[in-house]
Amino acid sequence: MYVVRMSLIATHGLTKRYGSVVALDELELEIEPGVIGLVGANGAGKSTLIKILLGLLPPTSGAAAMFDLDVATHGLEIRQRIGYMPEHDCLPLEISATEFVSHMAQVNGLPRGAARERTAETLRHVGLFEERYREMRGYSTGMRQRVKLAQALVHDPQLMLLDEPTNGLDPAGRDEMLDLVRRIGMEFGISILMSSHLLSEIERVCEYLVVIEGGRLVQSDSLAAFTGRTSVLTVEVDGAVAGLATMLRARGYELREGVHTLDATLGDDALFDAIRDGAAELGLGLIRVEQRRQQLEDLFRDEAPEPIGV
Amino acid sequence: MSEPASSNIYDLGYRRYEGERIGRRGTLLTLYVHGLRSAFGLGRRPMSKIFPFGLAVLAFVPAIIQLGVAALVSGGTDHVRIFKHEDYFQYVRVILVLFCATVAPELIGRDQRSRTLSLYFSRAVSRFDYAFAKFAALTSAMLVLTLGPQLVLFIGNGLASNDLSGYLGDNWNLVLPIFGGALLLSMTIAALGLVIAAYLPRRAYSTATIVGVFILTLSIGHILIETANASATKWFLLASPYAWEGMVRLFFRVDPDVGSTLQQSGLSGWTCLAGVIVSILICLTLTLRRLRRVSI
Repeated sequence: MYVVRMSLIATHGLTKRYGSVVALDELELEIEPGVIGLVGANGAGKSTLIKILLGLLPPTSGAAAMFDLDVATHGLEIRQRIGYMPEHDCLPLEISATEFVSHMAQVNGLPRGAARERTAETLRHVGLFEERYREMRGYSTGMRQRVKLAQALVHDPQLMLLDEPTNGLDPAGRDEMLDLVRRIGMEFGISILMSSHLLSEIERVCEYLVVIEGGRLVQSDSLAAFTGRTSVLTVEVDGAVAGLATMLRARGYELREGVHTLDATLGDDALFDAIRDGAAELGLGLIRVEQRRQQLEDLFRDEAPEPIGV
Repeated sequence: MSEPASSNIYDLGYRRYEGERIGRRGTLLTLYVHGLRSAFGLGRRPMSKIFPFGLAVLAFVPAIIQLGVAALVSGGTDHVRIFKHEDYFQYVRVILVLFCATVAPELIGRDQRSRTLSLYFSRAVSRFDYAFAKFAALTSAMLVLTLGPQLVLFIGNGLASNDLSGYLGDNWNLVLPIFGGALLLSMTIAALGLVIAAYLPRRAYSTATIVGVFILTLSIGHILIETANASATKWFLLASPYAWEGMVRLFFRVDPDVGSTLQQSGLSGWTCLAGVIVSILICLTLTLRRLRRVSI
């Protein structure tokens, strides 16, 4: 049976110029619902892309669609189904979190009673309790980030656009925020597009990854594809590795040698036998024999190992 | 956070919202109510209530004085008329402008300063709806100060006359001017305050500018009419609070006082009304233009 899958976000030739600066350059993108990481260095065009999707910025040329609806013509309809957490401060500090989040729920069309009920639930989900009745002026950065997340979640959107949600948080706050985002994506069943310039964050939360650089798409694939196994086998022993290396070289394997470890290029399974036999012969204890996984950081290195079988 | 234990006890899991969504009507109403509440500092710290409520009370003072005097001079209310309907707003116009200068930055400047605008415009709120809701909220807040005292005066005079139904029967023709004048006056001051606060998000600047524009146009208008050729300079008055006065007097069908600046200018009430409507439209257009261009 042919299954029509809804496209969450699609762009075609999407370009945005600020004067002579090109923020997005003919971006082509097609993303299905899920938890998506949007990665790129600062200035790669992440925020610009999010703002165009939200209709906050008009593109210079090209088109963008969300839920198969054109952003240029169906902006209001699309935005009813979206929650947006900006990178910058956006809270009116003179009112309480309850008053603010409930107001935002009503702006999204929820009746007053339902807005209050969902505000209480949502603030609890993001971990704000008694302090939600206080003026937001007195909130810490972590609490403010939680309110920003809550206002994007309170109306039960289909998709949340989170622009650098861990901005300004300390390591503990960062962990809590990432856990929350993952929970929203995995347990609540809400699609998420989260931008970050930190790969480690994306790795923890997302199942799909979009990498942009200089306003262009570098790669768009599942996280598993990015971190697939490479053809490099790493061997660690509890003694000097030199003897083992000599034996393996004698059998024609290519190696890179450290003090206790060596990286061998995996050709066939006979390598595993050779390592076992060699270690036994030399009386070495094998601590670790594993196929190296590709690191996300490798994307931004030149000498990245080639992924296999992806 | 502060009570990790309670999250375990009360956490019911995430629930989807399947209920009703009101749509644009609800959005507009919410923005309007929120604007009206912030105008009077409701839901905010007590300090934010002092100015709006204080000024609102001051706007009622002449009406209360009038009623007090009428009550003391018993049975003679028909002869004791210190504050007449058509003159009333001139006594309180400084209060009206101060109120607008206090409230307008709260309504439209704050969202820009705290960058909450990006949250509104990334939701299903258009620039037009936002501007419309804010204008309606500010106009309604102004109505408390323009219409309220007029109604107190009207009903109070009726009660003091010992024959309420007779008084209302004789003066029913005041009702339309009271409501119409107050509404248009509120819209005029609200539109002026809104456009200034939209272009000057910093509160101190917008408040000072709103008051400044009021005082400057008032005094320049007066000086022009007194010292220069009135027939050439009278048009300036349409951009000043004199146009408001002319418009209100047109509603009450009362000519300007002899010797007053408005009377010397020779502008008709209808011209003043047209000037007021044009100024409202200009202010709202500029406000919308600002909201379309402001970077968020």
